[in-house]
Parts: sequence; structure tokens; C-alpha cells
Amino acid sequence: MSGRPGGVSVWWRRGTQLMFLALFLWLFRRTEYTGEQLSGAVNLFFRADPLVAAAASLATRSLIVLAWPALIVVGLTLIFGRFFCGWVCPLGTLLDGAHSLIQPKKQGPAGRLRSIKFVLLGLILFAALFGAPLVGYLDPFSLLTRGLALSLDPALFALVTTPLDWLFVNAPGWVSAVSEPVNVFLKAHLLPYQQTVFDLALFTGFSLFAIFALERLERRFWCRNLCPLGAMLGLFSRFSLLRWKPGIACRDCRDCRSLCRMGAIGEDGRISPESCNLCLDCIRDCKRSLIGFSFQRPKPRPAPLGVPRRAVLWSFFGGLAIPPLLKSRTLNRRPDIFLIRPPGAKEEKTFLAQCVRCGECMKVCPRNALQPAWHEAGFEGAWTPVLKPRIGYCEFNCKLCGEVCPTGAIERLLLSDKQKLPIGRSYFDVNRCLPYARGIPCLVCEEHCPVSDKAIKLRETKVFAPDGKLVTIKQPYVVPEKCIGCGICEHKCPLPGEAGVRVTSEGEARNPEAGPDFDPSAGAYPGGDGGGYPDAGGGYPEAPPPEGGGQATE
Amino acid sequence: MDRRKFVSDVVLWSAGIAAATPLFTIDQAALAAESAASTVAVAQGKDYAGLVAKALEPLGGMGAFIKKGMKVVVKPNIGFDRNVAQGACTHPEVVKATVKLALDAGAASVLVFDNPTGDARRCYDNSGIKAAVESIKDDRVVCAYADSRKFVPVDIKKGKSLKKYQFYKDALEADAYINVPVAKTHGSAKLTLALKNIMGAIGGQRGQIHWSLGQRIADLNTVIRPRLNILDATRVMVRNGPSGGDLADVKAMDTVAASADPVALDAWAARALFGMEPKDVDAIRLAAELGLGQIDLAKVKVIKA
Repeated sequence: MSGRPGGVSVWWRRGTQLMFLALFLWLFRRTEYTGEQLSGAVNLFFRADPLVAAAASLATRSLIVLAWPALIVVGLTLIFGRFFCGWVCPLGTLLDGAHSLIQPKKQGPAGRLRSIKFVLLGLILFAALFGAPLVGYLDPFSLLTRGLALSLDPALFALVTTPLDWLFVNAPGWVSAVSEPVNVFLKAHLLPYQQTVFDLALFTGFSLFAIFALERLERRFWCRNLCPLGAMLGLFSRFSLLRWKPGIACRDCRDCRSLCRMGAIGEDGRISPESCNLCLDCIRDCKRSLIGFSFQRPKPRPAPLGVPRRAVLWSFFGGLAIPPLLKSRTLNRRPDIFLIRPPGAKEEKTFLAQCVRCGECMKVCPRNALQPAWHEAGFEGAWTPVLKPRIGYCEFNCKLCGEVCPTGAIERLLLSDKQKLPIGRSYFDVNRCLPYARGIPCLVCEEHCPVSDKAIKLRETKVFAPDGKLVTIKQPYVVPEKCIGCGICEHKCPLPGEAGVRVTSEGEARNPEAGPDFDPSAGAYPGGDGGGYPDAGGGYPEAPPPEGGGQATE
Repeated sequence: MDRRKFVSDVVLWSAGIAAATPLFTIDQAALAAESAASTVAVAQGKDYAGLVAKALEPLGGMGAFIKKGMKVVVKPNIGFDRNVAQGACTHPEVVKATVKLALDAGAASVLVFDNPTGDARRCYDNSGIKAAVESIKDDRVVCAYADSRKFVPVDIKKGKSLKKYQFYKDALEADAYINVPVAKTHGSAKLTLALKNIMGAIGGQRGQIHWSLGQRIADLNTVIRPRLNILDATRVMVRNGPSGGDLADVKAMDTVAASADPVALDAWAARALFGMEPKDVDAIRLAAELGLGQIDLAKVKVIKA
């Protein structure tokens, strides 16, 4: 420990960082089926994220009440400045930790890229206001949690269990006697319950890796130049009460400038509150112990780094331009019919606006059924959760996705409600389903259907088998009003490749009119709200229903 | 059949030493001896915990099946994420009583497991079986999830439809395998009883078993031969099985039946509990054709305990 003043404070800061990192990882690990009610704290970091709160509130034109802890962060920022980035943020802590591994090159961009984060912040907020949700792509917690959930956590499981499994299967018994207790211990305390697999796993991991690779350019490159949450906290920090206390006799020494991990110390030796994350290294390392912090406003006031007017204009026009561009896609007229959202997901437009792409629902899903979308929901829907029944199905008695969602994009449901809520509907592909196509008995789908009494029923009939013989066989069929689209039939279908029964979004609760059972005379077609789809028919009340209303007439 | 050699083959294969798949053959004489005295003992009452011992009494008690120092596997049906009242899984009291009796008979270890179709954690929890077994508090008892590394391929010499399939290693190696199925209806198999319960002791693409379900269940039963079958019919899903879910489909029958002969037990249950002719249930008829037990109820001794 350093004997200099500030040395103790630096240790406090490091301890706090490690504590929050440990809390983050612990909460992450708890985001799993445990047999008990989840405490709900697993999404704590997101709920304390003012960027997520602001963007989701702007996008949905409502206050996201779940995000009340974000107010605490804003309040503390108004007192202490951008302490969050230096003391709390787990991504920041990991970047600090990576510093010994990834050293910056000599010549960094030195502040020239600093305003990018303000452009990104403005873009996120303006775009949210004008109808294009982007926050999930760049929010630091989203990047980190989803990188861990979709990529690193499954990789960790494989990394640890592959050699242990190899030993278990191939090594003599006495080796397993040693390795298996290790395996059991690791599975109980360190690893996720099972090996999960995800779409976009590599890409998601790579985008997190890229943030660390940028450390080669300069320390905390992400935090200095790109992080929109950092930009937002930096703006609040302008008004913070805790300020740098200017030294008086440091005219020729500028060591602190190169030491500062945030590049917060200017040419004139003044510390910018927008950038400073209060790591306190400078207090410890100042040779003459001249730097300090106090609740007095310094005179002369530090030069504000300023948000270039151009940055505001760029982000405003960017935010304005993106939504109309998004409207020009075929997706708006014909949404992907295999886009099955988790039970409790809000109407599509609100869902996209509120979902922060954190991946927690995909992490917690016990059957690995929720997968990140890539293009199915459009550019603005990447990494949003989609049910992929061939990978996993929605477990009838489970509603964990709604319990971990930090913004309420997936609502918390009563189990009894969830079990009745259609998220889609199955149909048989009679060209593939064996009792139809080949006269072979099967019926695995009917056996597993969790709805009582059965959304898949059987009828006995005679069909010609491929060899020309007439066989009596039971064929399955869907009872549409009973099917909730959980996908267990598609998942369990023993056909290799495409299943003989598939789930589509037809008939989902969010969009009941998109189905052949919809009676247009019974209720007005809600053209105004887009019929549950992004922009579908928005402003065109005479537009045909996106599904089930037959072909488009134009 | 040289059982000892078979078990050692399984061990060698698992250890990667032997390349040849363990081959399982059945000794016809041994089979005939077993089925000669097919007895089904039936106990009824509201005290489900006590029904197991009551049913075993006429068969000579658990001691007639479990000898001191045996490695025992108890295989209930924990196939579905359903609660006790819904009757999709074996009643936890029946499982617990079975395990306790095996321990009392001197079992060296008792493993309770199933390879559920739903999420194993949810099935073990919701069925109440994990909690019930763990409440026994005996170091010799383990209630474990099936370990995907422990499925070994076995050549099924007598199999008509399946010639090779993956079985759970612990089930193959057990000194005594106690089959504890729950009685319920089944969409494609008509009924799921003792024979069908073997589906939880195998791995692989189990859905494909359904393409010739009755024959394949019979074939699988030539490999794992339970020393004892204890059928839970305390509450019986009489419609919409095997997953059910509606309490209206569940009927209280307050019955536990036991037999060393799974075919005789299933034949009795088909008629007594469901009013069906045993030969109309493919698995029972085809298992009998393979010589796995007595389907002719006229030749089965039924004892009301």
C-alpha cells in the first residue's frame, strides 16, 4: 500500500470495484432455475442504469417504473461525478483488470474521439424518441451481460467439462474418483447447470472482445470515447458537487496527464469532471501531493470539454433519419411468421422499444429455447429473444423470462395466465409428419402436449403407405383454440431436420387478428397501433391485416 | 446368460478399453423359470406409504428380492413436470417406501433416477420425488439426475425392431433394478405401466422409439430385467396421458401392485384398472411373445394383500 495520501483511497476504490464485479457475477450466476422464486435482483444493474431508463422511457413514452434505482445513480452522480464508471461499472472494472494484459500503444487518439460517445448517446435518445430502439446495442451492461450469457458462459462450461468428461469416459476408475468430485463441485458452484447453445454466440462474444481489444489504442478506450452511459453520466457530472481541488505549484510537471486512465486531465492541468471517473490514482501519484478533491467549486472553473454542436446535430438527424429508413422494409408488411416471442412479451413495437438486449431471458430459459434474433425482427430487433422450438421449447410451468426482464418488455405473468397465453400456434406439415406422409405411427407430439386436454388430438384414419398398402393409423391434429405455441411438439418431433409440426406466430395473444379464426366483423381492425407489428398499417387504417387477411391487395 | 460378463463388458466399454459393444443375451431357461410362477400381489388402502410393504408381503417381502450388500437402482417415473395430484409421475410416498424397504433389506446403495422428457430439475422438484427421497437422510441413498455421459450402447440380440440401443450404465450394472412405474394412459402406447417405464432408463433419440413403439418397448425390456416391479396406481390418469395436467382426468384407485413379472403385472393392470384386454396393448402382447412374462391372466396368481 502506498504511503502517499490517496493511496488508501485507491485501495478503497479497488475494493469497491471488486465487490461490485463480484455482485454482478453472482447475480449473473443466479439467473438460472433454482427451484425457488427468483428474488428479482438478478436484473439490478440494468434497473440502476439511467441510460436504459431514459431510452426505454422515451421509446415507450412512459415511465419505466422498474428502473427506479437509476434515479439513485443519477443522484449520486450529481454529488460525486462520474464515480460510477470508476467504482461500480463491472465492464470498467474488467477493463482495468485487463490493463496488465493489454497495454496501449504509445500514441493513442488522445481525446480526438471523445465526442463520439456524445453522438452515440444523442443518437440513442433521439432515435428512441422517433421510434428506433438502439440502446441495447451499446449499453455497457447489455454488451457485457449478453456477451457473458450467449458466448462466454457456454464456452466456460465446455472448457471446464470437456476434459473432465474425457477423463470420466476414458480414464481408469481411480482418475474419475478424483476428477468427478471436482466436476460435481464446479457444477454446483461455478458453472451453469447445462451446456447451452446460442445463435450469434461467436459474434456476440466477439463484440465484447472488441471492447477489450480497443484497450490497445488507449486505456479505457470504450469508456473515454464510446460508452453512451459514460457520456450521460459525464453530462450529469458537469453539475457534480465534488470537484477537483486545483494545485498551485504544478506548472512544469504533467505526469498525472499520462497516468490518468480516462485522459481527464487537460493541458493546463485541470481535471474535466465529464471524464474523471474518480479513480484517485492522481492523488496517489502526484509527486508533490498537490491534487485533491473537495466539495468546493474550483476557481478558475475547468474548461468544459463540451459537446460539439455538430455532435448534437448529427445525432439528431441520425435519430430522425433511421426510423423512416426502417419503414422501407418488406418486414413491415409481412413480418416473419416464425418470430415467436416469449410469453408476456409486449406488443411488438413496445417490446422492441423496451427490450435492452441484455440476454437475461435467454440465460435463464431452462430449455435454452430463447435465442437471440438476428434479422427476423429487423435490424432494430437483433439480439431480442425469439423462441426457437427446434433448439428448445417453452416449459409449461416456467415463467422465469418475465421475472428477470429488467424493463418489463416481457411482463411478469401469473403462472395460470401464462399457461393459457398463446405465443403462437402449431400446424402440421402433412408432407413430413410420418402418420400423414408415410403411414408410420408416431404421436410423440401428442404425448408431450402439456395443455389439458391436449391441443394436439388424434383421429384414426386409413392412409396409403408408400408401399401402396392401406393402413389404419392415428393421425395428430391441432386444436387451434387450445394451442399456446409452446413448441414442445416441434421440439420433440423425432424427424431429423425440419419437424413435421411447426409453430408460427399466427394466433399469438399479442396479435389475435393475425389468424384465420379472426372475425373482422366482431371487432374493428386496430389499424392505428399497427396491429401489433412494427409499423404495419401504421397510419394506413385501410391496410390489409399483415397475416390471415389474405394477400395484400395492391 | 452370463450376467457378470455382461456387466464387465459394460465397464470395459465405458472405460474405452473394449471396442466391441456389450452384447446382451437372455437365457431362455432362466426366463422360463421366472415366468412359471407369475404372481401379482395387490394392496389397497389410503396409507400410500404403507401400501408398498403390504403388497410385497405375499411375495416374501423386500428381503426376497434385495440381499445384503446389493447395489440397487430404483427407477420411478419422473418423466413430466407435473405435481403429485396430477398423477403423471410415480407417487413420492411409493418411491420413498420402496427405497426405505430396500435399505432395510440391507442394500449397500440405492440410486433413484429417471431420464425425464421435461426439464430434469423441474420434474424432480415438482413430482415431489427428489424431496421425498432426500428426506430419508441415509448416506446410501442418492437421487440423481441422469448423467448424459453414462449411456452405453448395447446390442439387443433378441430385439426384433431394435438391434442396438443406449442404456443407462448404472441401471445395467445394478445388482437389483426395482422398477416403480405409475399407471396411466398413453396416447400412442394406450397404457404406460411397468414395461413402458423402461423408456426412462435409455438415452438416444427416444422419439424414434415411437415409430414401432410396442415392439421396441418389448425389445428394450429384454436388456434390463427388473428384479421387482412395483406399480403405483394410487391415483391414475385415466385420460389424456401420459402428460395429462387436468385433475378431472385423475381417478383415485388407492392401489399398489407388485410382481417380479412385468408382463403379468401389466396384464393384470390393463384389465383390473383400465378394463382393457392385455393383448390389445402392443407392448404387453409383444413382450409376452418375446418370452418376457406371462400374459395369460388365467395363469397368473393374483393375491390381494
